[in-house]
Amino acid sequence: MRHRHPQWTAIAAAVTALTLTACGSGEPADTGGPVTLTMSAWSMKTTPEFQKLAESFQAQHPDVKIQFKEYDATNYDTQLTADLAAGSGPDLYILKNLKNFITYQGGEQLLDVSDVASGLGDKVNGIGNYKVDGVTYAVPYRQDSWYLYYNKDLFAAAGVTPPDETWTWAEYEKASADLTAGLKAAGSPAKAAYQHTWQSTVQGLALAQTKGADLGSGDYGYLAPYYKRALEQQQAGSQVDYGTATTNTLQYQAQFGTQQAAMMLMGSWYVATLIAQQKKGEAQAFQWGFAPAPQPDAGTKDKPITFGDPTGVGVNAAIDENKVAAAKKFLTFAAGEGAATALAGIGITPATLTDPVVQAYFGVQGMPADELSRFTFTTHDTRAENPVSAQTAPLQNILLETHSAIMSGSTPVDEALTKAGERARSEVLESK
Amino acid sequence: MSTTTVGGPRNTAADRTKRWYRARRSLQGVSFVLPNFLGFGLLTLGPVVALFYISFTNWNVFGKAKWIGLDNFTRLLGDASFHRALLNTLYYSAFHIPLTLALSLGLALLLNRKLRGVQFFRTAAFFPYVTSIVAIAIAWNLLFSRDAGPINQILGLFGVDDPPGWTASSTWAMPAVIIVGVWREMGYYMLLFLAGLQTVPPELHEAARIDGANAWQRFRNVTLPCLRPTTFFVTVMLTIGSFKVFDLILVMTNGGPGQSTLVLSQYIYQKGLVENRFGYASAISVVLFALCMLVTVVQFAVNRRRNA
Amino acid sequence: MAAPHTLPALAEPGTVGAGPAEPSDRRGTRFAAPGRILGYAVLVVAAAGLLLPFFWMVSSSLKTDNAVFSIPVTWFPDSPQWANYVEIWRISDMLVWLKNTVFLSVVVTALQLFTGSFAAYGFAKARFPGRNLLFLVYIGTIAVPWQAYMIPQFIMMSEVGLTNTPWAVIALQAFSAFGVFLMRQYYMTIPDELCEAARVDGLSEYGIYFRIMLPLSVPALASLALLTFVTTWNDYLGPLIYLRDPDLWTIQLGLKSFVSEYSAEHALIMTGSVLSVVPIAVVFLLGQKYFVQGVATSGLKG
Repeated sequence: MRHRHPQWTAIAAAVTALTLTACGSGEPADTGGPVTLTMSAWSMKTTPEFQKLAESFQAQHPDVKIQFKEYDATNYDTQLTADLAAGSGPDLYILKNLKNFITYQGGEQLLDVSDVASGLGDKVNGIGNYKVDGVTYAVPYRQDSWYLYYNKDLFAAAGVTPPDETWTWAEYEKASADLTAGLKAAGSPAKAAYQHTWQSTVQGLALAQTKGADLGSGDYGYLAPYYKRALEQQQAGSQVDYGTATTNTLQYQAQFGTQQAAMMLMGSWYVATLIAQQKKGEAQAFQWGFAPAPQPDAGTKDKPITFGDPTGVGVNAAIDENKVAAAKKFLTFAAGEGAATALAGIGITPATLTDPVVQAYFGVQGMPADELSRFTFTTHDTRAENPVSAQTAPLQNILLETHSAIMSGSTPVDEALTKAGERARSEVLESK
Repeated sequence: MSTTTVGGPRNTAADRTKRWYRARRSLQGVSFVLPNFLGFGLLTLGPVVALFYISFTNWNVFGKAKWIGLDNFTRLLGDASFHRALLNTLYYSAFHIPLTLALSLGLALLLNRKLRGVQFFRTAAFFPYVTSIVAIAIAWNLLFSRDAGPINQILGLFGVDDPPGWTASSTWAMPAVIIVGVWREMGYYMLLFLAGLQTVPPELHEAARIDGANAWQRFRNVTLPCLRPTTFFVTVMLTIGSFKVFDLILVMTNGGPGQSTLVLSQYIYQKGLVENRFGYASAISVVLFALCMLVTVVQFAVNRRRNA
Repeated sequence: MAAPHTLPALAEPGTVGAGPAEPSDRRGTRFAAPGRILGYAVLVVAAAGLLLPFFWMVSSSLKTDNAVFSIPVTWFPDSPQWANYVEIWRISDMLVWLKNTVFLSVVVTALQLFTGSFAAYGFAKARFPGRNLLFLVYIGTIAVPWQAYMIPQFIMMSEVGLTNTPWAVIALQAFSAFGVFLMRQYYMTIPDELCEAARVDGLSEYGIYFRIMLPLSVPALASLALLTFVTTWNDYLGPLIYLRDPDLWTIQLGLKSFVSEYSAEHALIMTGSVLSVVPIAVVFLLGQKYFVQGVATSGLKG
């Protein structure tokens, strides 16, 4: 209803060009006094990254003040969308879910920040996701990836060799069977693995690791081997079955943190959580580490393929003209090494992974110190779970329903995937 | 009756008085409705009218809404997920409405007495509606757990060998949701019935008793007729509520497994707030609205005929 | 008020003599001794079933976080963590949330009671052109799912600067069609003859509303008040969309954001949920007495 004028972007771009030439001519000469930028955030008490970003930025740019506007973590996009639609959005906003980036971009709610991107170069992981038709609309400050977490104590108790960087799915399955037998023999109630109920735990890796797999193709045969494996693992008793996990609202933090499972595929955000929980005593004290996700074959062992979406920050297209320069400065900082080092220091996986960043990350108290974890952190080919496209959100909805149908045993794998393809074509792809 | 008191011999002056009297009554009637209507019209009716307009556009929150005529509605005809959601909604309503109606009325009759501890029991009946819906969903899911859940353990005692998987099964998820829906809402409607029961004059019961009517006959011939406006209200609210069932399903099954508990409101939520296709979501809302109104108007007609 | 009219139209001629000397509802409810025991047994079992999930909430609120979800379910924690009930006040802003929620619930309930019952009188007892159509429009809006039109509504509210203020939530809920419908149906049970008689006695329409209808509709007002109070108390989506500032958060909004902030602290989350129910339970127990003082006892004592 509310029409945002397209010329906005043009004006903004012109203004930016002016300010940039000013900047380019020498010292960053900000005209006028201090600038206050509002920025979206969520769960600030338990998510220190926003404060960290702001503090480290303000240390370098005392003339700019970052003021947070706190949103609800679960309903972040709903609240933000409402604010933007009503013209009361913050100057800078976090793109919490890559899936919804296209909505903001397509709705002309994001300023063109290509100049920031070109200044950053290509050492920022995941930055390409925010490029649409050659124009960059946001920059990532963190790029999470999925790893295989493993409990070294449980592996030792079961007498099974822990994973290394060359693990394929075949080796994973073998280890899983050995763990199940070994843990039972050792009298441990733990399972070999815990697979959380999210669709990502199956679909994310399948999409990333299968050659030619394309979310937008409407052909979901690539998911079949991954689903069959998950169901086999369930039937073999190597992991808690999906129905039990959903009806008992099982939490992955408790499953791995209280040693109910020896292995778990999970995103890199869990590293900081687990360290914090072990420190507080909510998770038990045990030795753990993380390894690359198992690969389809040995061909990718030098740079294992995994998945994960970046978290980015963009500039509200409706920002005051005189704030644009400061906002872009913030973006440049957030995606760069300075912010990355600060974030790594609290256990977050930033988008920029240079040596000082890696050092800061492994300097965190409670962080696993082994070589494998270090390799896993630094070396990976991370593909987006939600490739940027207007069709991604509705397609993921269909695949979510498919996930629960398969995992609950309601529909056989192939039948469910065929149906998902049919639905994708009739409900989403053919009605562009 | 008032007309006879006002109206005297027929002449133009009297007619004018009558008209003036009528106009004054109309004005007074309007004045009663006005304070509420100002708020209602501005805050609810306005956006609802906007929704009807949006249903003919491709509005996606940002940018301009383009008029696309009946496109959204023709798409609905071929949308298999919409059909599924519609059928599921009817399935839910077909069981939820009569069960809740019967149980809430039963509870109200049972608890409209001077029993010791009746206040406790009324509170107990109302508690499910008060308790946080998220906690309810978690607790019921635990109760429904296939292998370790207390419900299946009880079923096992009665010799059920192969108990259902409830919320983890596409066949049994809907019955599970219906059970929880009835459990949660019967206390709510009980409260409305309780208020309604206070209008049944005790003299009538007394009279019927003296005439030798038994409890059932008294219920049929005294309680029910006196309760009719309340029953009508409860039925309409319950019908609309069932057709619009949303948060319970969202937290209990999120529509799953598969699409086995996907209902219209949730589909609207998905299309609107998740996928930002508000034009399409509005069109589904219009269909849901039409469905509710159809049933409501039928109920109105039936109610009027019974009153007559 | 000295309206001499009882409910003659409903009472059948022969019954007046029998008179309500003995409250008949008491006689009607008396169980015979074995029946009484059975009746109570049924009630107790039913109440236990009704309260079971709540019991789980209470029991979980006394566990440690990682013990809340376990297989199989533990109903009685080994060592109750009473400290959770202290901790919750320390790490959350429960007090602020409670204060905001009480404010919202009381204001909304008061407005809803007044405007709703006032309008209901217009729909039930007054006559004006388009009355029934307008009433149908009221009901019609109940049938439209809010999640479909909340964004247009939000945009509208923010144009007038009401977003991020408690008034937005109050404005949304105070004029709902629900209250009008409920009260109208109740007024329909009050015989028109009563109003006519009052008119003959010279009472204006407003007089009839204030001096006859309101006193007669105490049970309906009580249930409307209770339901509105509970609905406002438990409303999540409204505050979620309209309130950003943490100082304005309601108990439900606070608890949910607490859930997303401390997603692993399940015991504390349940502690908060238990605490959030207590005020309603109190209100409900207090409100009970208005259900027995119906028409028969309080309305027309004269």
